[in-house]
Amino acid sequence: MLFATLEHILTHISFSTISIVITIHLITLLVRELRGLRDSSEKGMIVTFFSITGFLVSRWVSSGHFPLSNLYESLIFLSWALYILHTIPKIQNSKNDLSTITTPSTILTQGFATSGLLTEMHQSTILVPALQSQWLMMHVSMMLLSYATLLCGSLLSAALLIIRFRKDFDFFSKKKKKVFLKTFFFSEIEYLYAKRSPLKSTSFPAFPNYYKYQLTERLDSWSYRVISLGFTLLTMGILCGAVWANEAWGSYWNWDPKETWAFITWTIFAIYLHSRTNPNWKGTNSALVASIGFLIIWICYFGINLLGIGLHSYGSFILPSK
Amino acid sequence: MPSAASYLLLNLCKPFSFRRLSPPPPRIHARRVHVSCAAPRGGSGGGRREAAPAGASKAKKRVVFFDAAPPVSQPGVEKAGSEKTAKEGGGGSAALALVRRATKRTLAVLSNLPLAISEMFAIAALMALGTVIDQGEAPSYYFEKFPEDNPVFGFITWRWILTPGFDHMFSSPVFLGLLALLAASLMACTYTTQLPMVKVARRWSFTHSGERIRKQEFADSLPRASIQDLGVILMGAGYEVFTKGTSLYAFKGLAGRYAPIGVHLAMLFIMAGATLSATGSFKGSVDVPQGLNFVIGDVMKPRGVLSVAPDVFNTEVHVNRFYMEYYDSGEVSQFYSDLSLFNLDGKEVMRKTIKVNDPLRYGGITIYQTDWGFSALQVKKNGEGPFNLAMAPLKLNGDKKLFGTFLPLEDQDSSNPNVKGISMLARDLQSIVLYDQEGKFVGVRRPSSKLPIEINGNEILIEDAIGSTGLDLKTDPGVPIVYAGFGALMLTTCISYLSHSQIWALQDGTTVVVGGKTNRAKLEFSEEMNRLLDKVPELIGADENVVDIKSTAT
Repeated sequence: MLFATLEHILTHISFSTISIVITIHLITLLVRELRGLRDSSEKGMIVTFFSITGFLVSRWVSSGHFPLSNLYESLIFLSWALYILHTIPKIQNSKNDLSTITTPSTILTQGFATSGLLTEMHQSTILVPALQSQWLMMHVSMMLLSYATLLCGSLLSAALLIIRFRKDFDFFSKKKKKVFLKTFFFSEIEYLYAKRSPLKSTSFPAFPNYYKYQLTERLDSWSYRVISLGFTLLTMGILCGAVWANEAWGSYWNWDPKETWAFITWTIFAIYLHSRTNPNWKGTNSALVASIGFLIIWICYFGINLLGIGLHSYGSFILPSK
Repeated sequence: MPSAASYLLLNLCKPFSFRRLSPPPPRIHARRVHVSCAAPRGGSGGGRREAAPAGASKAKKRVVFFDAAPPVSQPGVEKAGSEKTAKEGGGGSAALALVRRATKRTLAVLSNLPLAISEMFAIAALMALGTVIDQGEAPSYYFEKFPEDNPVFGFITWRWILTPGFDHMFSSPVFLGLLALLAASLMACTYTTQLPMVKVARRWSFTHSGERIRKQEFADSLPRASIQDLGVILMGAGYEVFTKGTSLYAFKGLAGRYAPIGVHLAMLFIMAGATLSATGSFKGSVDVPQGLNFVIGDVMKPRGVLSVAPDVFNTEVHVNRFYMEYYDSGEVSQFYSDLSLFNLDGKEVMRKTIKVNDPLRYGGITIYQTDWGFSALQVKKNGEGPFNLAMAPLKLNGDKKLFGTFLPLEDQDSSNPNVKGISMLARDLQSIVLYDQEGKFVGVRRPSSKLPIEINGNEILIEDAIGSTGLDLKTDPGVPIVYAGFGALMLTTCISYLSHSQIWALQDGTTVVVGGKTNRAKLEFSEEMNRLLDKVPELIGADENVVDIKSTAT
């Protein structure tokens, strides 16, 4: 009971802090000069981090196993992983745009986890025999870390796409004649420009799209790095799962729906990584692939659980209406 | 150039070694310069899979791309043709040349990146389809679900599913064929694109042209600086630094450049292992009541053409005991089977209590605990017995296990078909629910309690509940290969995250011109470079100082 209360308090603290943090983020987005607010949002993230960590630890202590046995716990873990992702660049002291992605993602996953849909799953459950293994910690935590990383990376790509397309729409409205030819021409110019910019990063202030270009370039680069990291984690997660399956189910690969979708996710991000090796596809095309990957991760992580089919049905839940 | 190659290997082993301050032997310096002259470093010329740093190479790549692209529309024809010529091979040198050309073309087609990407997309789509369509049902199921007179989405009838074998997607020829094609692409890409990339990466060199350095992705010039200071700082940051005269070359993370080759090889390993698994394994599953035994060979069924039964199939397995552990809430926490293995002579060769997640391995055979059942109930009636009542599985509430048995109370006359008696139901081995002749609930007894229960004037004592263990057995010769592939894949994907960074610098009077590029972490690289270059001390003093350094430099 004590643990239950503690967990309840901790989830609510983290949820309300992160709501405040996201408001602050929105304000700083509109009003850039408020330095103090930015710092306080960082403090808010730290508070959230400690309460989520506290929640996970108390879960671990009270249930006696690693808190990843059902969807609720895995969602909390996902938001924890997103927070970790938020922190890593901070430690390295490099400035980036990740926090604008990670903070809302954390709030959304947490909001969903604490929302009414999953209330009956809030209490920790016992472990079925198949889950009683050291591999649980390794496999599931790897998978969730990779989901978090890949979600971030693909969101960065989606942001890139949105910025690119908005520009194209602007162009559309200005000149309606021979749009295709012109856009092609336009992108050609931009490409020429792109080639030169790394050398002379400051000498083109006159170019109207320079900042936009720089932003997309940064987004592209960051999403590539983040997705590469997520891909590594996903590979490890899937392989750990395969080794575990060979211990528990008698085969390292069963074409179980969850496995298959994890493999599809892996394939999609492999395509992303390969599409980046072609300089003509870098940018928009690869970002498109990564955005598809975003949907695929959600199908893999959530859709399959929603159906509750296959061998991975531990995390499934029944909708309240039924 | 054996020494250059060996030096490369040496550096491959320790690309991260910090502060290797002693410069490499001068002999190799000379060679390096020679290499650089022989092969001028035009960006990253050979590798189509590389990030292009300069516009010139883009145009060049375009040409390469179109060179390989035309046959895309007919890869199957191309491939079939090449195979045919390969079969006809041996008819003179003309045929040989044809074969060689066909092989080359096939390789070019297969290593085409758009083709590989579309293969991956197709495989992903088929897998998704395989989870959407219910797999492994009887044909009648598909007739009913995808009827011809009322097609799903207006056109999908059962023909669309059964003809290409999508009712068993993951073993259908279409899917396996695509996987094989992908494997072929992997091999071709490794051979035609990745291995030449190694050669490109070996074209590391000093450069004496400041112009070329300034053309790099990152370029900067430091006035009043010394190249030696820069070298020391780069070493401190984990770079391998080489200097010769006024020029400097440094790199870091070379392993990251080679790791993708390892990733591809590991994938091929896994595919090979999986093929062996699919063709050379035995599988079997058996339901054994506690106290009985079975011979492994009787249970195992070959899965493919390469399955060869090993000698250990003569081994007899005896189930000494099967039991379950429960949580306080009554749910099963774990299943245990105490198994003994006897060889032909009747000697016990192994004994182990297996559970879920802890299988038994003996001579290539793995025995898994996967299932359980309720075999029989030992019951004493009015002190007589014990009788063994066989338990029958009942399907009432979906998948939940329920077993039942019946103890007739009246003497069984053939004239009276409606024998009345006691019904017993059980969900697990822990508690048995008893119903009387009228079907009314009487009570619950635990087999361990030894507490009799009175039903219709009869004293019933449940002595024991005998479970049966569900075991899965398999031999899989592919597992070691697949595991080797797994290990290699994990390692190489991790290494692939490393970014291969190269830095060139040239002392130009009192100014140091620095340029560098990296293949992955571009933003981090320029940040790191700015940070490192800030550390380079500014030489306050006369230009003679620099001239001095230049003349004493190795």
